[in-house]
Formats: sequence, structure tokens, C-alpha cells
Amino acid sequence: MTLHIIKPGLQTTIQDGGRPGNLRWGLSRGGAADTLAMALGNLLLGNPPAHPCIEVALTGPEIAFTESLSLAVTGAHFDLTLNGKSVANDEVLQIRGGDQLHFGALRSGARAYIALAGKMALPASLGSLSTHVVAGFGGLHGRALQAGDSIHLDHCRLEANRTLPSQYRLDYRGRPLLRVIPGLEEQYFSSGARAQFYRGGFTISPQSNRMGIRLVGEPLPVENIPQQISSALCPGTIQVPPNGQPVISFVEGQTIGGYPRIAHVISADLHRLGQLNAGARLDFETVDRDTAHRILHDKSLLLERLPHKL
Amino acid sequence: MLRERRFELSPNGDAALDIRFSAAPGEQLSEAIIALSEAIEAESFPAVTELVPAYQCLTVCFDPLQLSHSGSGSADLPKLESSLATLTQKILAQTLRTNKKNTDEENTDNEPPEYKRTLIRIPVCYDEQFAPDIQTLCSHTGLTAAEIIARHTAPRYLVHMLGFTPGFLYLGGLDEQLHCPRKARPELKIAAGSVGIGGGQTGIYPQATPGGWQIIGRTPLALFRPDQDPPFIAHPLDRIQFVAISPEQFTQTDPFSAPDTIPLTEFAAPEVRR
Repeated sequence: MTLHIIKPGLQTTIQDGGRPGNLRWGLSRGGAADTLAMALGNLLLGNPPAHPCIEVALTGPEIAFTESLSLAVTGAHFDLTLNGKSVANDEVLQIRGGDQLHFGALRSGARAYIALAGKMALPASLGSLSTHVVAGFGGLHGRALQAGDSIHLDHCRLEANRTLPSQYRLDYRGRPLLRVIPGLEEQYFSSGARAQFYRGGFTISPQSNRMGIRLVGEPLPVENIPQQISSALCPGTIQVPPNGQPVISFVEGQTIGGYPRIAHVISADLHRLGQLNAGARLDFETVDRDTAHRILHDKSLLLERLPHKL
Repeated sequence: MLRERRFELSPNGDAALDIRFSAAPGEQLSEAIIALSEAIEAESFPAVTELVPAYQCLTVCFDPLQLSHSGSGSADLPKLESSLATLTQKILAQTLRTNKKNTDEENTDNEPPEYKRTLIRIPVCYDEQFAPDIQTLCSHTGLTAAEIIARHTAPRYLVHMLGFTPGFLYLGGLDEQLHCPRKARPELKIAAGSVGIGGGQTGIYPQATPGGWQIIGRTPLALFRPDQDPPFIAHPLDRIQFVAISPEQFTQTDPFSAPDTIPLTEFAAPEVRR
């Protein structure tokens, strides 16, 4: 079974859980920008949550299939059609040989995931198939998919028609709220600067990518903040560089940083970063570390229970 | 000798802890940080997922889901924090002893096994086609290109850590005469392998990325080799020496060939200049 890329879209890449454990070599985890949406699609098909899938960003692709298999599209909502007929997110789609899946206009969110009931026949690099766009390796030829690319799939299956229960269907239409725990250097920011940061004072810049999500707004004053000791930079860390415009470190972010850290997006909300759109205003809400862990624990339990509800 | 033994444990987000040291960055602190990283690894804490050394900090990443959970929070976290603090105190005390013994030239038999450090020679072509900013460096330092090359290839730079992008080496030991400010406006694309100077640091860009350093040469070697084992050419505490090569040698060098490595013990390692 082969999957042909007819139109590539803006940045369509092969992704999975990435390569954790390599920060000490300067290699960020990479992998799916929204690991929750990826997991939901995979669980719909009976795959492990981080089974390699196709990540679609902002402008979607057109893909042709040579044989039968089941797939599911989760995450961002596009006008999705199969052979010109409208199909839905969050349910198993049955593909036959010759079918074409087309991503039309983006309605909400930023990244969709095509989970596949089959295995892409590609070599793993450092234990993962994921495309690391910044470092230029993994996936297919270390880059985003292009028109004319073909991916061979082995062990293709047809799965039963299943739909995600309503509580698992993610809605990205509202104004995004990210929960954060305060950064070590938050204390150095004036109360006015903090209020601006926490009250929707920043919007997402179109300059954002898999390395970092750039925010734009009235610059936060950083002149009087003492020089920081460089340390590991994990996804979700919000640094404020000298221009006063915060940057949220993302899945392919640099691994060491030394700018003042105003806050850190909690682990449980990192998946939400993958669905942020340029121009959106961002709200932040502080929680303490125990609360952050409890939220993560609860979300993880929900995901563990999903297979029993399908 | 590492006299300053204070440190602080602080959260770096909800899934990492920074162990931040008060001692000045340098070879001895880096040795202590790597020893601590190895000691934590040897403990095999189930929740610990990554250990990331930096100049004055070791970051311990953990998976909050691997910590037992009660209604009020992760009960295991204070335990992990106190174990890390105890280990840190122990390693700092040990490093102090080891340094004392080394100064007395005593043999030690009860020390943890140390990572075998190597001197890695990295070929660099300083020819002007690869060195767009060498003139800037000449006018800033008052040195000739030949003097810059001589001073850049002389030291055995200490690898403090890897980071930023895959395979980037944070090196210590740049000749003070070669310090030069970064560009006011960073270049949009620096070629992979470019060797540059930024402030008091020197290093190699492993990937084609934007960058603000003054570029004085280029290595034909790939610093990140995702399909080789190991995928990186150097570890923290290794030494790097740049060796000047001709443009012909540059084109003839296989990017994925093993850098010429020589056990450091065959050499008298000089002190890192600061």
C-alpha cells in the first residue's frame, strides 16, 4: 500500500513521540506538536498513542491511497473531503484503493493529525520516525513532504467504525487559555508588566514555528533583570529576550537558554501550543506545581480510559 | 579546587529541577556537574527522564506521571528533591577531595569511574571563501589573519556542554585577544560547519541556522550524525583542538569520517585560559 502526496500543504510532516532523552546533546524532543490530538487518532484505530502519523499544519495536503486501510483525522478542523465528499474529524475513515483525501479551508486550530492503521516503511533515526525540521533529519529525507513523495505502508488494517465520545472532541474555537507556573525570574518583572502578560496583552506572531511560538505586544521591560545562568530550556518555557517580546519554547526549541523566564506552560497544557494560530490573543493563568501535576494526572487518566469507551 | 560549594535547587517548569551552583564556571565546576550527572544516572530514579549539564547548572527533567500522586500533589517530589540535594552535596565534597589528591599526585582507588576524555582534532579551513568575517576580526583585534589562525588553533578547548542545536559544543578557553562582539544584526543563514567567534566564545554551527557570530572558517566535518552511533563527535569534558587545513583538504574530507581522536592522557593538558 502506498500513499502519494499530490499537494503537500504548508508543512506536512511525519511525526510520532519524538526523541526524548537527547536534550544533553542539544537535540530537542521534536515529534508531534500536539501529542494529545495524535494520541486520540491513534487510540481510535487501536494503535499505541505515539504511533507514527502525519502532521498537517495550517494549509493541508491532498493525499491519494493505492489500497484499503482505516485512518482517522484529529486535531485542527479543516474542510475535509474524501473523493469530494465531506468527512468528519474524530472518527474512523475507511479508505479504498484510489481514494483521495483533501484538506480544504482551516476552520479552527492549527495542526491536524492523520493517524494510520498501518506502518510507514521508513527507517527510524535515533529511535523515531519523526521529522526534525530544524535539524533536517528523520521522516522522509529529513524534510516536510513534497508533491510527488510516496510513502509505503506495511501491515495495513481495516478497523471498525468508531467515533470519539463527545468529551474527547477538542474545540479550538475559543480564546486560548494556557495554565502556567511562574518562572524563577518572574519576581523581577514589574507588577504592571506581569498584569499585561497575564491579561491577554500578547498575541501570537506569524513568525512562530516548531522552534518557538513568538508573542507580540507592548514590550515587557527587561533592562533591570540580572543576567541569568544558562540552563536547559524545556518546551513550554516562556522567555523574555531583550526586545521584551516573549517566546514560548516549542517542540524543536533550542535546548539551552539564558533569557529571563517569566513563566512555564504546564506539561498538561503543552499539547494546546500545537493549535495556536497567528493573531490569537493569549490568556495565561497561574497554578502551583502540585495543581499542574494533578491536571496532568487527570488528563492522562482520561486518555487511559478512552480505549474502553470506544 | 572547588571551594565554593553552595547550590540551589529550583523548579524549571513543572517537570524539571535546576541544580544551580554558586561556583564560577570553569573546568572544575564542569567536572563536578558531569560527575553529579553520572551519579544521578547511576541511582536510576524511575521518574528522571533527562539530565542536562550547563556551565553552572544541571537540569534534572522528570516525568510527573512517574511520581506517586495523592490529592494534594506529588508525594514523591519532595523525596526526589532531597535525594538530589544529598547527592549534590556528596559529589561536591568528593570533587573537592579528588582535586586535593590530584594536586598531591596521589593515586586514588576508591573513586567513581571517570569518563575517558579524548582530544578531538577538528579540521578547519580558514580560507577567505569560508571566512567572511575574518577582516572584521583583524580590524577589531589588530592581528593579522595568520595570527588569528595561530591563536585560534593553539588552545585545547574544553567542552563544557552540548546544546542549543544538535551537536553544538559550548567551548571554554578562547584566547582573550580573539574576543570580538557579535554582529549587531544576525545573519539569516550561516552555513553548516561555520566556525565563529561571538564575544568570548568560539564554536561551530552544526546546522545551517541564523546566527550573529563572526565567521572565521569552516569545518568539513558533520557535528551531528543522526545515522551514526554515537551521533555526536564529542562529550562534555572532551578537549577540542582546531587544525588548519587547505581548501583542497576541505573538499577531500568526508563529512562523516571519524575525527582524529587521541587519548588526552598522551598529552599534557594545559589549563584552560580564561
